[in-house]
Amino acid sequence: MSIVKKPGAIANWYLPGILIGMIFTLKKMIYNLFHKDKMPTLNYPEEKYEYSPRFKGQHVLTVKKDGSIRCTACMLCATNCPAQCIKIVASEHEDPTVEKYPINYEIDVLRCVYCGFCEEACPVDAIRMGPEWQKPGANGFNFTYDIQELAYRPQLKGGIESRLDEKERHDFGI
Amino acid sequence: MPKLTLNGKEIEVPAGSTIIEAYKQLDEPIAHYCWHPGLSIAGVCRLCVVEIEGNPRLQIACNTQIQEGMVVNNNSEKVKTAVKWGLDFHLINHPLDCPICDQAGECELQNQYMEFGKYDPEMAEPKVKKRKVVDLGERVVLDTERCILCSRCVRFTNEVSKTNELGIFNRGDRSEVGTFEDKPLNNKYSVNTVDICPVGALTSKDFRFKQRVWYLKNKPSICTGCSTGCNVNVYYNEEGVFRVKPHYNKEVNGYWMCDEGRDIYKHINRKSRMLRGRYKQNGVWCTTQALEVAKKAGQKLSSFKGEEIAVLVTGQYTNEELNSLVDYSVNKLGSKSVFHWKNNENNWQDFDGHLIRGDKNPNTKGLQGVLQKYAVGGEWKELENQLSKFKAVVVAGPENQSVYFDIKEKIESLKSLECVVWFTAGENSNFEKLSDNSYLIPQKTSVEKNGHFTNHQGLTQKVEEVTTILPEALNLEETVSLMLGNSLDLSIRDKQEMGVLKTNYFSQERGSL
Repeated sequence: MSIVKKPGAIANWYLPGILIGMIFTLKKMIYNLFHKDKMPTLNYPEEKYEYSPRFKGQHVLTVKKDGSIRCTACMLCATNCPAQCIKIVASEHEDPTVEKYPINYEIDVLRCVYCGFCEEACPVDAIRMGPEWQKPGANGFNFTYDIQELAYRPQLKGGIESRLDEKERHDFGI
Repeated sequence: MPKLTLNGKEIEVPAGSTIIEAYKQLDEPIAHYCWHPGLSIAGVCRLCVVEIEGNPRLQIACNTQIQEGMVVNNNSEKVKTAVKWGLDFHLINHPLDCPICDQAGECELQNQYMEFGKYDPEMAEPKVKKRKVVDLGERVVLDTERCILCSRCVRFTNEVSKTNELGIFNRGDRSEVGTFEDKPLNNKYSVNTVDICPVGALTSKDFRFKQRVWYLKNKPSICTGCSTGCNVNVYYNEEGVFRVKPHYNKEVNGYWMCDEGRDIYKHINRKSRMLRGRYKQNGVWCTTQALEVAKKAGQKLSSFKGEEIAVLVTGQYTNEELNSLVDYSVNKLGSKSVFHWKNNENNWQDFDGHLIRGDKNPNTKGLQGVLQKYAVGGEWKELENQLSKFKAVVVAGPENQSVYFDIKEKIESLKSLECVVWFTAGENSNFEKLSDNSYLIPQKTSVEKNGHFTNHQGLTQKVEEVTTILPEALNLEETVSLMLGNSLDLSIRDKQEMGVLKTNYFSQERGSL
């Protein structure tokens, strides 16, 4: 892109340009004073922007109808993760129809690049990326989130239910 | 030797062999579940079908004997369709639980579906539900839903372990593998059934859910569980060793190995190892690097006369290592008192008729050879009788302490000595009881070093470094070299090889600044 300069002495007179700008600013200011609800900016720390539910932000581990964790510890998310930030420890479940479940599921969010590959790899809709997008922490804050944080943090209000239910699948004969 | 043509390639095979063996000899891919080279032929999976010229119907390769001039192929459309729909029958009642199945990643059903299948199932009926997570015995878990009834495990218990625990029960789509009442699968070779199971029906309790198999790498090694010296594959990753599986060797172990041998990875992993070297001075244990302890031990030993030093060796080290230690003892220390520590002499000669031997050391034959070469040797009892004669003792302790049941008493019996130098891979709380001037030097285990083991037959087998679990650990040769006052010979890579360091990338690419 190149800047086209108008020839002639009039182009060097900057005062009219400044005046035009000041009038524009003044007009907007007066408009905003009387139409506060139409203002496009936010008072950030007090007000926060709500993204759409499709936004790929903070990870959520979904839960089953009974509130237990949906994840089957198949480790496909950890395998697919390009940042290698997911760590899962699997264990034997008491219920033979469940068989395998994670006793530890950790995401190091400082390593995470929020690519959404974990969500894509999951065969049972156990991990999603939710609309929450900010989680500041002071020095020494633990940015390795565990199951408690990922599935049952207060913002999720008791957990988000998975679309797939094991019991239903079992009854259906899959 | 009859000649035949497989997939357009001519091959000569021994008379009496089957078509599938010819395929294996040629290294051509052929689908099969029920056929296993170490077992009899069942012909139940019907997946190894081949087209034979002049034969109107497809034949199974595993049960068709070779004839002169046969023309066989398994890559025609007819065969592929047959395999595809044969696979569909196998998958009618197979659950879709690959994500939680331990076999996923090394499952033949998965592989063959990716190769031949990839269809939408045409079965409208719901799947037949069967028992899941059945506890079969000490080491094996059964999932009857995943089973495809290839009967490999049943044939294994019939033919190889000859214990007949497993059988196929019920009929039709309700048939399932199971054990007879009150007879769990508890033979000494039970985990082999897990290895040969082509699907995830039989899983090992020990390995279950520990790791997904695609995170593991494997390398061949030798089992150190007993003097048979079975060839094994060690499965490991950066976290350690996770399991051991048999590796085919016709002369030693065939296709199998025992359950005891599968536990050898436990004393290899970091958890049970001695992590740092230790020595006791003025009643206090000091922890430091292994090589420093070795140097200190060497200095201390040089202050004794040759007759005052005894050397104890176990058959748990490689030939090269034992040779260097005995050489050090005889030629450098000047001590001819080298004793062989046998752990279980009473059942030394035991043999269960298949693989397990009473001698739980991988290299007893090799050690005996070394002792003969230097014309030394004796038993622990001889040492005990003349213990007052000695002031210092050097012990090449066992790597696998779990088979040395008397290790506690042996450590305690050496308490009275002035100086004890103990080479050990594993940690043991009884070492604390040793007297002043005791030196504990961490050693490498069999998967961390190169060398040779000589098994009970006198067959010398090579072990190669599989992985590094403890970077600080030394092998016996290195320890001896350090004790002699040499510095550790670190093999620095050739400068040509390390091209990255030789030339500065930036100055080369961008010119001088």
